[in-house]
Amino acid sequence: MKAARTEKVGRVSRPFGTRTSKHVRTASRLAAHPLPRAPYPADFSLRRPGFGFAASVLMLAALSACPSTAAARSAESLFQAGAAAYRAGQYPRAAEAFHESVAHQPASGTLQDLGNAWWLCGRTGSAILAWEQARWLDPFNSSVRQNLRFARKTAQLEAPDLAWYEVVSTWLPASWWAWIAGISLWLAVGMGMLPGILRRPKATWHQAVAALGLMVFLLSVPAHIGVQTRSRIGFVLGKDIPLRLTPTLEAQAVTRLAAGEPGRWVRARGNYLLIQTSRALGWVEQEQFGVAYPRMERSAD
Amino acid sequence: MPLLLAGVVSLSAHAADPETNRPQPQMSLQGTRNDLGNRRALPQAQMPTQPPRDPFMSLMVSQPQIEIPAVPSATAVFDPPVVRPRERSYLRVMFNALEESIEWPTNLAAPPQLDISPGAHGQIFQMMGATMEPRTAVNYRVRAGGLGSFTVPEFVVRVAGRPVTVPAASLQVVAAPPTGVLPAARLTLELRATNLFVGQAVAARVLLPASPAGVVQGLGQPQLSGGGILADLGGARQRFEMLPQGGTRVPTFIYETTLTPVMAGKLIVYAQGFTAGSRFSGSVVVNGPATIQGGPPQYTLLESEPVELDVRPLPHEGQLPGFTGAIGRLTTGPPKLTPSVLRVGDPVKLTVIVTNCGDGPLARLVAPPPPPTQGWQVFAASDYAPALPLAPTQPVMRFGPNGNPVRTTTALPDELEGIVTFAYTLIPLTETARATPPIPFSYFDPKAGAYVDLTIPSVPVTVKPGAAPGDLASLVQAGTAGSEPEKELVLSGLAASRGRTAASLVPPQQQAWFPLVQLAPALFFFGLWSWDRRRRYLEAHPDVVLRRRARRALRHQCRVVQRAAQAADAPRFAAAAVNAMRVACAPHYPAEPRALVGGDVLPLLPEADRSGRAGEVVRHFFAVTDAARFGTAAPNVTDLLPLKPDLERVLQELEQKL
Repeated sequence: MKAARTEKVGRVSRPFGTRTSKHVRTASRLAAHPLPRAPYPADFSLRRPGFGFAASVLMLAALSACPSTAAARSAESLFQAGAAAYRAGQYPRAAEAFHESVAHQPASGTLQDLGNAWWLCGRTGSAILAWEQARWLDPFNSSVRQNLRFARKTAQLEAPDLAWYEVVSTWLPASWWAWIAGISLWLAVGMGMLPGILRRPKATWHQAVAALGLMVFLLSVPAHIGVQTRSRIGFVLGKDIPLRLTPTLEAQAVTRLAAGEPGRWVRARGNYLLIQTSRALGWVEQEQFGVAYPRMERSAD
Repeated sequence: MPLLLAGVVSLSAHAADPETNRPQPQMSLQGTRNDLGNRRALPQAQMPTQPPRDPFMSLMVSQPQIEIPAVPSATAVFDPPVVRPRERSYLRVMFNALEESIEWPTNLAAPPQLDISPGAHGQIFQMMGATMEPRTAVNYRVRAGGLGSFTVPEFVVRVAGRPVTVPAASLQVVAAPPTGVLPAARLTLELRATNLFVGQAVAARVLLPASPAGVVQGLGQPQLSGGGILADLGGARQRFEMLPQGGTRVPTFIYETTLTPVMAGKLIVYAQGFTAGSRFSGSVVVNGPATIQGGPPQYTLLESEPVELDVRPLPHEGQLPGFTGAIGRLTTGPPKLTPSVLRVGDPVKLTVIVTNCGDGPLARLVAPPPPPTQGWQVFAASDYAPALPLAPTQPVMRFGPNGNPVRTTTALPDELEGIVTFAYTLIPLTETARATPPIPFSYFDPKAGAYVDLTIPSVPVTVKPGAAPGDLASLVQAGTAGSEPEKELVLSGLAASRGRTAASLVPPQQQAWFPLVQLAPALFFFGLWSWDRRRRYLEAHPDVVLRRRARRALRHQCRVVQRAAQAADAPRFAAAAVNAMRVACAPHYPAEPRALVGGDVLPLLPEADRSGRAGEVVRHFFAVTDAARFGTAAPNVTDLLPLKPDLERVLQELEQKL
């Protein structure tokens, strides 16, 4: 029982009776001194060493996830204007308003309505791209899933052929996987390290949480890869777009692609993108092929 | 003819072995001299067999080559060139180029007095000796309001990237045209109905009457043009018939097909076709006297006046199960099952004859899908019989007492418009089945504007135990699992709110700041680990801590000594000097600094200094302070101040040992 007792010395606790010398106890005090000072009580910071990190990460995430209030207000007003135009049957105007709202702040509902407006304007490719972007943000949106099935059935289009890890990546929003992987990894590392540093005996729940974090991290790795590869999937925007053999205007057309037909972005050259469709590999003009987010096209150059 | 010969030669190259019934190669009678010589040189057993020529390849080789002129040209004429006011004329532009290579301008510059609108356009190939050349025709419908001469100026069109000038064309509008000018040949499009529902087929008839001279021409590539329609080319027929026109019966070329609107709204349909002279495609029936002109074909793209269709969507209200797009006035005969006594696992065929007696032909009809039924596995198929020919007397289908259709040709022309046989293959999965499952089927009656139920009823059946299929359990399970009907897909409504928002569509892992954020916990954990490592080292080596503490205390006491010396405070100077020597020596002894005496300091000095000046200074300082502390008389400490340089030297030596 004596060995199980702990004595708090300064900011650390250790088994009682392991050191009897007064010098050693003084050394413990000195050793505890180099820890960084925090604005909150030192004891608090030592007992919860991850709190500062978690707080800063959460703050950064909140800052990155929440755009400025002015942009949100503008996006909301544009959304309402687009909805009003849609209800009035002015679909091109509604599409324009929804498009501007998305430019201010992408939102799943706005993208869904943008797809509806494009569809009613007869722009199948743009509609499917908008719905896919909505699903990219919010895969739980059943209306978007239904619209995509409806559009593909109506236009006789095929859905993108996804690998198993890409299918896994569609279970959650694309941005979630990054946070899940980061938090679970550092949770596992923290649960492995902190009990030793804090001189606490490793409890079962420490190991369970560490194992859980590691498992979640490992499970999220395929989804990460899926997000990466899925971001290369795009859709033909125009109607009857020629898939060219070479990236030139006079190139021979390998085949013609229908609006909304999926393809995978391989690389870019000049104003052309090399895409792989289910039928053939060839070049299309960049303006005629839309990917989930336009940054991919810019980075291609 | 060459194709026929090729076919004969190909057939003669194979003859069946009477014993094995396998094709055996035989010598061709059309072999060349070299071939025969080679055969003589070879033994009979090693005679090489010449592979038969592929008939499809023969057909391709026998086709004349298509030659596209290197220098494209264009012609433009008004047909007729002289018209009355408000009379229809056509501006016919003809190219010797492929239609796809022509970049036609959106707007045509024309005098404002002319009411000009785009008409038909098409492409045909014309035989030019051994080759074929493309001919592309573009029509414009023109009508002039006033008298005068109007000219459509020449304009440039890019054909295969080259500029081609379309010449100017003039139209004379006069009150009384000369007698020699004939009106433009024109097609007539006849539709049985123009108020239709989406998917409702209607019979279309294109007429080309003979010219006033009695010359009959056929149509090449006849077609119905317009948006939102489907024309059934498979059921198209063409014939000649004497039809009344202007009080007399004239031979008329007739092209019949079925038109189905696939889009709701006002649709514009017109017929077009090239006059082909004496060239016809397919079989042609000539009823009555007709003069068929010979000679080279005269390709002119004719067209009819546009016809407007009013197409309404099918109502959603009242739609019944089993509706697969059937529109008309349908009747079904009694379902026929053969045999009616069967064993488990034996397939049985259920046939139902569907007839259409509506106003329009029966479009392609899809058999209603069989409902998921426990105890039965059902496969559906439909055999489409096209609408019967629109002959003066048409056969009529009636059902006899035994359910078999009976054909009569006695009466009721235009009543029967098509027959479809639904054939279902049913396999009983259990002997408890007593009847076939009812199959929901319905159609839309355009006259009544409502859906009509025509569910195929059950047929009593006797099922005996038999060899059940191996996957019976899975089939039965699949039948029960798929009982939920598939939900019809429709476009969703507007989202009420913006939903889940994000700062960007770019995922965080592909943004520059994300790796930095992930680096922060890594740095934190590394720092924590380093601190813990240092802490453990100090715990294992406490002397390091003691020496560090002693150095710090020594520096503090040295500062006190300095200040006391500057202030000439001799007692404080003496106490600080002794304290400094004690804290500097304490780490070398397991004791408190206050417990140390001069004897403890001297051993730490070098051997030579112990008996020298340094030792004397140490002893003097401790003696004076001890006297001040324990003695009765106050000692004179002022003489210690001059010893400051010696004291500093001693302290330096002690500090070096820490």
